[in-house]
Formats: sequence, structure tokens, C-alpha cells
Amino acid sequence: MKAQRLSRAQRTLLSCAPINEERIRDRSMRAALSRARGSKEFANQQSFDRAMAALVDAIPIPPETAEWFSDKDFFPASKWTWKKMMRNPAVLAVGIAVLVIAGVFVFNLLNHLNDFPGSATARKLLVLASSTRPVLLDPVDADAGTLGDLFFMKHGLEHYEVPPEFADFRTIGCRVFEDEESRRIAQIWLVEKRMQLFLFPAERNMKTGAVLRFPGWRYVQQEGWTGAVAEHNGVCFMAALRGRKDDLIRYISEAKE
Amino acid sequence: MPDRKQNLPQLYRFCFLMLGDSRKAQEVFQATLREAAASAAHGDVPREPFWLFREARWRCLEESKTDLQAEPLEMEEYEITPEASLQIEQLEPAQLAIWISSAPEPQRTALALFYLNEFDYGEILDLADLKLSELSRLLVMGRRQFQAWLNMMAPQISKI
Repeated sequence: MKAQRLSRAQRTLLSCAPINEERIRDRSMRAALSRARGSKEFANQQSFDRAMAALVDAIPIPPETAEWFSDKDFFPASKWTWKKMMRNPAVLAVGIAVLVIAGVFVFNLLNHLNDFPGSATARKLLVLASSTRPVLLDPVDADAGTLGDLFFMKHGLEHYEVPPEFADFRTIGCRVFEDEESRRIAQIWLVEKRMQLFLFPAERNMKTGAVLRFPGWRYVQQEGWTGAVAEHNGVCFMAALRGRKDDLIRYISEAKE
Repeated sequence: MPDRKQNLPQLYRFCFLMLGDSRKAQEVFQATLREAAASAAHGDVPREPFWLFREARWRCLEESKTDLQAEPLEMEEYEITPEASLQIEQLEPAQLAIWISSAPEPQRTALALFYLNEFDYGEILDLADLKLSELSRLLVMGRRQFQAWLNMMAPQISKI
């Protein structure tokens, strides 16, 4: 082998050169062989390897072992079945992953299916309602419907009116505060089922500034609290209580009757 | 699965080269086939083309764990001579099998798979979990050590 003409990689390949040249499948091996052809050292290796392979080929097969050979395919390729494919750990893992992703997608879709302009604020206020204590509010013993005048006169809040459905309930207290976006929010605490009412500015179109309206009552739920929200004159009203949607629907349908 | 990959006579020869003992080789061969037949009956035949040889290899390694192990010693090496093929022709297959089976792992597997003339080098690398440089070194070393052994065993032929 003319080592000076062969790279180290080629020498490495040549030492693994197949005994039969028809078994050469890669180009790099073919290139190394064509370079080594004619080299005495490589010819010796090839004749050594051929003699060794011939000797291995001459290993006799004992009759007891030969009995195991048959003309038929001893291990036929297994048939493809759905059941078998489902048992494949890779398929199983992919299947579970797809199911989880689909579940999260459906969960998110259902969560946002009933979204309306202002639903995000309403959810935040439900969290606030769950942590509010009566001592935080100014004590007011009056009908809820009369507080619209108080909000206008004292805080300059226009259209912060409690809808007729909740106007007749007695109040324990109220307050006006600003949220993290500097929006002024009115909060009223009722005697009735310790319900809380919120009035806050409706969402507006970012470009035109127009109020994003929605008809009727919409419902939101958060941390065991339920809110019924309606929009009127650019102000959203929310009645919130700890409980289910049915508990609030009752008040609204009773008012309609 | 191509026929070449489940060449059963070659599988037996592989076991024989790995163990150097016909009785043990038959045991491993039959155990491998029994296990494979059981898997096939359950429809669990691996799609991997050399699984029979891989399975047989591990069984051979397990089998030889219980054998007496030769103390590792520095083997003489000698450059391959043009007369080597004539020297090899004088040998019995069992002598070659004993020589290969007493080589340390992974050289034993590399030599057995290579001289079966059943696999290309890429397939041997896969079966024996070797890198190309390792396989190359093991084969070069094996040839030179076998040549030295040949010279010792058949000096009259080396002088031709």
C-alpha cells in the first residue's frame, strides 16, 4: 500500500475493505480501493482476508443445526395491524401528546367562546370581589338605584347607574377606585346575598374610540364567583356573587317578569 | 427482511466463531431461534434487519462470561506476508474459530462478523457498536496477530 498517496481516512477504510467487491456501497470506500489497487500490501491483505473467509465458509454445519434451516421464511415479516400500531410506544406517545394539545385547545376555545368586550376586566373584578371585605367600603344604607346620583355628584361619573334589576336592593357600602389602567370603578356591596355590584367604563375601539357594545346580559365565572354583565351608555354593570350562573339568572328573569 | 439478513447457516458460523465450541454454538444458535420463533408467534418480529445476529451476539457474550478467561497478554504481531493465504489453507476451521473466540471483546465480535463475509463495514459498526477507527484498528491488529500465530503454527509454510 503506498501510504504516502493515501489519507489517514482512506487507510482506515481500506483496513475494513470488503472481501467481495460487490459489497461496496459507498463512494469513499470505492475511491480508497481504486487508490490502493496495485499496492502489494493491500493485495496481501485481500488475499489474507479471502483465505480467512473461505475457511469460515468451510465451517461444517452439524446435522442437528441444519434441521433448523428450512426453505420457508423462518420469521415472516409481521403483518401491520391497527392494534399493533397502537401498542407502539412512539405512536402512543404522539397520540397522547396530540390529545393533550387538542384538550388544551378545546379548553381555551370553550373559555373564550363566551368572551365579550370587557370580559377580561369583569374577571379581574370577580377576583377583587372575592377578596374584598366590607370595612374597605364607605358605609351607605340606601337603595342601590340611588347611588348613580352619588357617583355623579361626588365623583363626576356619568351613567354609572345601577340597572332596574338590582336597583331596589339595599346597600351596605360603596366606594370608587382606580384600577391599574386608571379606569374609575364603582363598587357597591348589597345586603342581598352579600352580592357586589361593579360599574366600570366599557371597552372602546383602539382606533376610533367608539364603545364596543354588546346586547343583553353576559356571564363570566372566576374562582367560584359568577358575574352578570350588561353594557349601557358606555358603562358596564356587573352583579357578582359567590355561586353559580343560575343564582344570578334568577334575579334578571324575575325583573323581566 | 432480505434473505441475507436471516442466513441461518451464517448465524451458526457466527456463534461458532464467537464461542470456538460446536456444542455451545449450537446451544446459542437454537436458543436464539427459539426466542425469535416465540417473538414471531406473538407478531413481535423486530423490523431491524440484523436482530438475529445481534441477539446471538449477546447470548454468546453471556455464554462466555462463565468460561475461564485467559489472562490478558501482549500478543506478537507480524506483517501480513504474501504466503499467508497458503498458511491459512492448511488450517482447520475449528482452529480459526478457537483463535477468534479467544480474542478479547470487541475484537472477537469484529473479526467474527468481518470474516463471515455477510455484512459490509457499516453494518458491522452497527452490530458491534463500534466506530470506524476502532473497527479498523481491531482488524489490522487481528490480521497481524493471526499472521504471527500462523508463523508460529506453520513455520514450514511461511518459508515457502
